[in-house]
Formats: sequence, structure tokens, C-alpha cells
Amino acid sequence: MASGRASRRRSASPRAALLLSVPSQTSFLALVRDLANRMAELAGFDEATAGRLALAVDEAATNVIEHAYRGAADREVEVRYEDRGSEFRVEVIDTGVMVDPRSFPSVDLERYRAERRKGGLGVHLMEKIMDSVTFRRTARRNVCCLVKRKDGGAAGGA
Amino acid sequence: MNELSVEVRTAEDVTLVYPKGFINAHTVRLFETELQRSLQQGRFKLVVNCAELAYIASAGLGAMMGTIEEIRGNGGDLRLTELNETVQNIFEILGFNHLFRIFPSEKEAVMSFREGPAPAA
Repeated sequence: MASGRASRRRSASPRAALLLSVPSQTSFLALVRDLANRMAELAGFDEATAGRLALAVDEAATNVIEHAYRGAADREVEVRYEDRGSEFRVEVIDTGVMVDPRSFPSVDLERYRAERRKGGLGVHLMEKIMDSVTFRRTARRNVCCLVKRKDGGAAGGA
Repeated sequence: MNELSVEVRTAEDVTLVYPKGFINAHTVRLFETELQRSLQQGRFKLVVNCAELAYIASAGLGAMMGTIEEIRGNGGDLRLTELNETVQNIFEILGFNHLFRIFPSEKEAVMSFREGPAPAA
């Protein structure tokens, strides 16, 4: 039985995963983004799609720094990039204030412009780019999970 | 690549803004400062030339949205030109291509200000 399990393990495709931990400072956003871009390309996405995925991850990390940590520069942002075979998944993890995504109003660009608003576009952009964006709180950690399917998915054209 | 540098030139009453690098939450302040400087000088006709803009995050789009009402309220406009595919795509995803006029070349963007007042859009 032991050899059977070993055999099954050998036959499974290795999946690339990478865990990055950076200080909660916007100067690290480019690194978070660049790694997302490279990991997405390694997962098989074309250059344009990988660039959009990287932008969604940049937005998620920005939300953590600006909202969950309220600008505090001495906290930690974890980013876990994972090629799960049929999908590419990125989790952005913090231990700050839980930000309820339902508190973000849906974006009406005309109203947005008239009100001279500057923020709030990030979540909207993430949702447009990814197939799934979910937020959960677990063991005092907030996890923003971004998923892009490789088969194109509902948002494949974005 | 430098994170962001912003060069500003003038062509008569039009201000030309050249962001080089990327605009995200880390670099947006510089971009915003240059837009505001133009407004404070009473110059409300702006062309942002994106030829050397690698990408723009929502912070940069928000900076433009935050100034456009004041710009148009003063009879001007903020127009864009030479967007690369990445930046063009982000504009389209968010519908910004319906809020801002985008031109293939800088010359066309500058000349568009000779056509008449900014549209209501």
C-alpha cells in the first residue's frame, strides 16, 4: 500500500505555490504585482491576462494596506500564489480590521464622477478581472481569495 | 524601470502630462500633484500622454476622476493619448473609455481642443 501511495504521489502534477510576506507599505506593491505576473505566466496565462491578474492582486494588497491596516506601515501582508491546475489562485492575507466588501457601494461611474470620489474602484476592478473574489475571516486573519480559471471562465475576456 | 516620473510640457493653452513608469497607490501622489499644479495655474486643458505608462491601478484612475469635474467645470477637459494595450484594457474594463476621450496620437489629442468645448460626457 505504501508503494501505491508513493506511486500516486509521483504521478500527480507538481503545483507551483509561493508564499510572500512583505511589510504593509505601498513600496512593496510592485514586488507583489511582479510576482503575480510571473506566477500567472508560469501557470499558463498569456501576457495580457497575466498583467490583468497582477493588477487585481495589486488592488487587493492596496486594500489591505489602506483599509485593513489603515495605513500602518509596520504590519505584515502575506500573499500566497498557487497554480491549482484548473485555476490560478491568489490569497492576500492580513491581521487587520475586517473590511466587509458589502460595505463598498457598486460603482456608478457617473455618480462617482459627480461626487469627485477617488477610492472604491479597486474591488470593482478585481471583480471584473477575476472569476471569483471572496473575503473571509478565519483565526483572526482576513483572507481575500482571488481565483482565475484557466478555461476562460465567466470573466475570461476581461 | 523607475517607479514613476512625470514630465509636464505646454503647447499654447494645452498642458501635456507624460507619466513614465506605473501609477499605483505608491506613486499616485506624484501624478495627482502634477494634475493639481496645472489646475492651480488655471490650465484646464490637459492631455495625458500614456506612451511610457506601463500600467495604471485604480488609484491613478481615481486621481483623474477626482479632478475631472473641476476641469470640465472650468471649460477644460482631460484627454488621453497613446495608451498601450494594458492601459487601454483597464480603461475599457471600468468603462472609463466612455468618460474620457482617447486619441491615437498626441497631435490629434491637442488638436481636439481646437474643435470646441468639451462634451458633456
